[in-house]
Amino acid sequence: MSEITILYVEDEETDMMLLQHVFTRVGITNLLKTVKDGKEAKDYLAGNAPFADRQVHPLPGLLLLDLNLPFWSGLEVLSWIREQPQLRWLPVVIFTSSRRPDDIVKSYEAGANGYLVKPNSLADLTTMVQSLRDFWLLQNQLPEPLIAEGARYSAAA
Amino acid sequence: MKARVRILLVEDSASDAALLQESLAETGLEAFEFSHVENWADALQSMGQQPPFDVLLLDLSLPDISGRETFVRARAEAPHLPIVVLTGQANEADGLEAVRQGIQDYLVKGQADARQIVRVIRYAIERKRVEDALKHTEDALRESERQLIQANQDLERRVAERTASLEETINDLEDFSHSITHDLRAPLRAIRSFAEILRSECGECGRPEAQEHIDRIVTAASRMDKLIQDVLQYSRVARSQMRLVPVDAEKLLRGIIETYPSFQPPQVEIQIKGPLPRVLGNEAALTQCFSNLLGNAIKFVAPGTRPEVRIWAEQVNAEAGRENAENGTTPCAPGSAPLLIVRLWFADNGVGIPKEAQERIFRMFQRLDRSYDGTGVGLTVVRKAIEKMGGRVGLESEPGSGSRFWLELKAAAKAVG
Repeated sequence: MSEITILYVEDEETDMMLLQHVFTRVGITNLLKTVKDGKEAKDYLAGNAPFADRQVHPLPGLLLLDLNLPFWSGLEVLSWIREQPQLRWLPVVIFTSSRRPDDIVKSYEAGANGYLVKPNSLADLTTMVQSLRDFWLLQNQLPEPLIAEGARYSAAA
Repeated sequence: MKARVRILLVEDSASDAALLQESLAETGLEAFEFSHVENWADALQSMGQQPPFDVLLLDLSLPDISGRETFVRARAEAPHLPIVVLTGQANEADGLEAVRQGIQDYLVKGQADARQIVRVIRYAIERKRVEDALKHTEDALRESERQLIQANQDLERRVAERTASLEETINDLEDFSHSITHDLRAPLRAIRSFAEILRSECGECGRPEAQEHIDRIVTAASRMDKLIQDVLQYSRVARSQMRLVPVDAEKLLRGIIETYPSFQPPQVEIQIKGPLPRVLGNEAALTQCFSNLLGNAIKFVAPGTRPEVRIWAEQVNAEAGRENAENGTTPCAPGSAPLLIVRLWFADNGVGIPKEAQERIFRMFQRLDRSYDGTGVGLTVVRKAIEKMGGRVGLESEPGSGSRFWLELKAAAKAVG
C-alpha cells in the first residue's frame, strides 16, 4: 500500500469513530488523520501549530471533507485550499449526509474531486471505503508536486 | 311663500341702478332684494356677505377696475356665486368673453326688457346650480378613481408582501426538511452502525438472546430511517411545482424494471401489455409512482406465491370523464385532437384489499397488515403526485383475488391509435 495520508475533517465524533473502525476493518494501513472543524483543517494543511511537525502530521494525499462544519463550512475550507499554490491539486472528496442538489453543485464549483453521501449501514460504508481505497490509494495517479511533498515527509519519517 | 331673490348689483351709475331695480319690481315675476354698490372695492367687500347672494349683476365699466379684469377677478373671488355681467352696446364682445371664462350670462344695456332680464337672472342661477352639481359629481368621480387606484396599489403591495412571506415560509420548510435529513438521520446512522459493529464483534459473548436484541436495534433504526426518508419524499412531492411534459410511460416502466433486480424474473413476472400511450406528466414524479405501485404489487403477496403483475392502458374520452364535458360534444376542428384521459392499470395476484379499507390505504401511515414491512407512505406519495399532475388514482380489489390499481393522466398530444 502507498504511503498516502488521508485527512478526514468531521465534527461528529461518532462518524469519525465509524470511519476509523471501517478503515481498520478494510485493512487500510495508511495514516488516517482526523480534525474536527474547518479551522483545524486549515491549521493542519498550512502546518501551523499544533500541526507544525510534518513527521507526525504529514501533508495528506486525500482529503475527506464534511460540509456541515463549525467555524468554517466545508465549502469555505475547500475554496481556501484551492487558493493555496501547494494545495490546489490536493484531491478533495466531499463526505456528507446532504443530498441537496445545491450542495453538490456548489461543491464541484468550489473544486471538489468527488462527492459521497454517508451511507446508512455499516455494510454500505464498508463498500464505499473499499472503493475509496481502490481508486484514490491504489489506482489514481497523483501529480508530481503532491508526490514530492508526500515523499519528502515519508523519507524523513 | 317664495323666497326673495337676493341680488348684489354692482353699477357705477346710480340712475341705471335705480332704473333696473324699478323695472324688475314692476314685472311682478319675482320678489327681489337688492344690495347696490358702485365700485369694485365695495363689490369685493359685499361678495363675501352671509347669507350669500343668489346672483351678482356686475357692470363692466366700473371706475376702479378694467372691464375684463372685473369678471375674471369676480369669478375667482366668488367661485359659487351665479354672475351676470352688464356691458355697453359697444363692448358686447366682453360679454361673450365673460361667458367663456365661466360667467353664467351677459346683458347688453338698453337691449333687454325687464322680463328678459328676469329670465336671464333665473337661468343664470339655475345654470350655476347645475354646473356646480356637475363639478361636484366630477370631483366625487375623480376622488373615487383616486381611491380605486390607491386601493389597487395597496392590494398589489399586500399581495407582494404575502408572496414574499410565503416564499420565506417555503424556504424555511426547505431548510427544516434539510435539517431533518441531516440532523435526525445522523444519530440513527450511529445507532445502527454501532449496533452492527457490536453484532459482528460480540456475537458470541453474552447471552444467546443478546444477538436478537442487537438485531432489533438495527431493524428499528433502519425502519425509523426509512420513515424519515419517506415523509421527506412526500413533502418534496407535495411542495414541488411539476412541469408537465409528454412522457413515454412504457419506456419509463421498462427502464424502472431493468434497474431493479427485484422487479425481474425469476423472482417476479411483470408483463407490460403495450403499447402504452404517451401521457402528460413529470418524469421524476411518475418514476416515483410506478416504483411505489410495482413495489407494493410484488410485496403484498401470500407467502409462497410468485408475484405476477400485468400493466396495460385504456383510453377514456374526456366526454365520459369528469371535466370538459362541452369538449366532448363539440366536433373537433381538423388537426386538433380531442382531450383524452389515459388510464394505466397495474393488476397483481396479491392478497387483495377489503372494500372498507380501499380509501384508507391512500392516507399517510396507514398499514393494513403489520406482517408486511412498510411505512404506510408509498400510496400517499402516489396519490399526491398524480393529483399534482392533474390526474387521479383508484383501485378495484377483493381479498384473495388481487388488486387492480389505476392511474388516470392526460394523454400527450400524439396519442396512440
